[in-house]
Amino acid sequence: MKLDPAFIWTAFIQLLSAVPTTLELTAVSVLCGLLIGTAAALVRIYRVPVLHPLASAYVTFIRGTPMLTHLLLIMFGLPMIIDSVAEGLGLPFRSVSIPMIGFAFISFSITAGAYMSEVVRSGILAVNRGQFEAAYSIGMTTPQLLRRIVLPQAFASALPNLSSAVIGTMHSTTLAFIASVVEINAKAQIVASTNWKFFEAYIAAALLFWGLTIAVERLTALLEKRIHIYNRGGVA
Amino acid sequence: MIRLTQIRKSFGRNEVLKGIDLAVEKGEVVVILGPSGSGKTTLLRCINYLEKPNGGEITIGDLTVHCKHPSKKDIHRLRGKTAMVFQQYNLFRHKTALENVMEGLVVVHKVPKEEARRRSAELLEKVGLGDKLNAYPSELSGGQQQRVGIARALALNPEVILLDEPTSALDPELVGEVLAVIRKIAKEGITMIIVTHEMGFAQDVASRVVFMDQGVIVEEGKPSELFRSPKEERTKQFLQRITPEGVYSI
Amino acid sequence: MGTPFDITYVFDYFVKLLPSLRITLVIVEFSLLIGLGVGLIVALPRLYRIPVLQRFSQVYVSFFRGTPILIQLFLFYYGLPEMLKLVHLDVSKVPALYFVIFAYALNSGAYLSEAIRGAVVSVDRGQVEAAYAIGMTGYQSFARIVLPQALALALPVFANHTLAHLKDTSLAFSLGIMELTGKAQTLPTMSRHFIESYLSLAAIYFIICIVLEKLFAVVERRLFRHEGGSVKAGKAVGGLKRLSRRFPAGLDLPKEGARS
Repeated sequence: MKLDPAFIWTAFIQLLSAVPTTLELTAVSVLCGLLIGTAAALVRIYRVPVLHPLASAYVTFIRGTPMLTHLLLIMFGLPMIIDSVAEGLGLPFRSVSIPMIGFAFISFSITAGAYMSEVVRSGILAVNRGQFEAAYSIGMTTPQLLRRIVLPQAFASALPNLSSAVIGTMHSTTLAFIASVVEINAKAQIVASTNWKFFEAYIAAALLFWGLTIAVERLTALLEKRIHIYNRGGVA
Repeated sequence: MIRLTQIRKSFGRNEVLKGIDLAVEKGEVVVILGPSGSGKTTLLRCINYLEKPNGGEITIGDLTVHCKHPSKKDIHRLRGKTAMVFQQYNLFRHKTALENVMEGLVVVHKVPKEEARRRSAELLEKVGLGDKLNAYPSELSGGQQQRVGIARALALNPEVILLDEPTSALDPELVGEVLAVIRKIAKEGITMIIVTHEMGFAQDVASRVVFMDQGVIVEEGKPSELFRSPKEERTKQFLQRITPEGVYSI
Repeated sequence: MGTPFDITYVFDYFVKLLPSLRITLVIVEFSLLIGLGVGLIVALPRLYRIPVLQRFSQVYVSFFRGTPILIQLFLFYYGLPEMLKLVHLDVSKVPALYFVIFAYALNSGAYLSEAIRGAVVSVDRGQVEAAYAIGMTGYQSFARIVLPQALALALPVFANHTLAHLKDTSLAFSLGIMELTGKAQTLPTMSRHFIESYLSLAAIYFIICIVLEKLFAVVERRLFRHEGGSVKAGKAVGGLKRLSRRFPAGLDLPKEGARS
């Protein structure tokens, strides 16, 4: 076999330069996704009049279509929308000034948001009804109750799911190559085609992702241990 | 006919059975009593090898199994001669009552399906569930499920039926119907070893009662003798705790 | 992007995309089928705690759940021919589709093995004891008692995975496969009506997902009919869902989005 094991290492080193981009994509998508997701989750739980069906439709649509489709829709559709809105409002803004990575950020965040909304929703719903009632009975307002009682507990029970979602988002950043963003996957393609060593380059990419994923898992395990000090440790 | 010789069992460092000797003749109904942790359930589960004894011998009829190095075949034959009724019924959830009773006949004893169906229906009639042949366990009450369990055990025509606290998981008002069935088959001469807490039942049905504590058999005898005048101190203490009115001491 | 939006193109492209649905479904079908077999083989060593093989299974699952599927696709597309050259098999003429199905199958195998494992472990131990007590052999008790119940328990997880898998097939275009997404990208080359193409693409995926969901719901109802009410089914399923997110083996990994 013409496999060149030494090159795997070389490729690995070269890929490291793309890691910050991957992490950036992941972090932004996860954070924005959490914001969108929490909002959507709350809207659905409290059945806010106009927004509820919109939120449900959003979640259903995103979860029922591939992430790649979202990216393509945003990449081709958003500029059109922005341009027509900007023209209509007379703003000097044009979509070409948005860097390609912006489209990736937006698309990934929207996708992550839908999945996060399910994570947040199940986390909140897992919190015992009695906690809500106790908080109301001592006179807390809903925002206080959410912030001090529900969300901390929801976070603890949603942690495994959340970790799932983070890892999933990190994996899906490999799609960003379509938006010409040089994250790990795109870099692997570059390294592979410049050196004509495809297999080695992709092994390096796979190992890199594997390592990153395990790192996130370990982190989650640590977090879980710390959080479960106060929790009776129901699940695992 | 059933002979247990020096049965030993340890879970890790905890020795649960410290050398049990027990003989059960055909047609006898032996009830094993004892506090929790005495090893009575473990002993029962050793007989059909759901627990693996660490030492001793089990003889059922013409089969003797040496527990230190049993062969797979021996274990299989042992299970062929015994049947068990579980505390949690353990009916096969995805099969109807009739199918549950038929399962052993068809799969293990290779009885043709029609014959198995006929025999199983008869047995279910016998335990009073003739109208529930096609019901799933989830549709039956605890007492009904346990009676199916008894029918399932009977279907295999075993040399002995092992009953592990058959009524402990039941609501009080359902206990009676299960005990009635057990009483009925005892009268027919089926050999049984029963672990139970039902004192009144034990007195009524048992031909012999065995009291176990901390992994040894403390005392055994006819129910009338053991309950009225227990010889050992530990037996007395146990009986006092369970049925304060049943024991007379001088 | 220049050309104004024209809704008629959406319907037009919808119809033009449908033939490619076949390829997408073929990929899903075969990779799931093979994946189920792979999943079963991978799950068994861990269920029966076979010493060396158990480790292999763990590593296998960890790898396929710990790396992005796109990378796996490229890895097998480029790597498998190289590896097969070692055993003197020249697969350079084999269409890319086979590699793609193979890669997806291995990937599914990892997820499905976890689903199977979780389901088998969820089957009440008492059922197995009763099976042994009436004299069944290990094989008989597994095949007749454990497996049927485990399959029913695993169904919701399997359904989830199927839907996710369907969406993952969209990545196959990067290897030149003309499944739905690939076709949707080539259709507007002349007309420049990209957004309309992608809208109809989204619509097709969405509809298929809904259809599949409904189908699975029907199957689930049938499989759980022995449980009497959806209460029991829900409880069993809830327990299993939690199992699929566990971390104890240290290497239990999920992928794309929250898969609970």
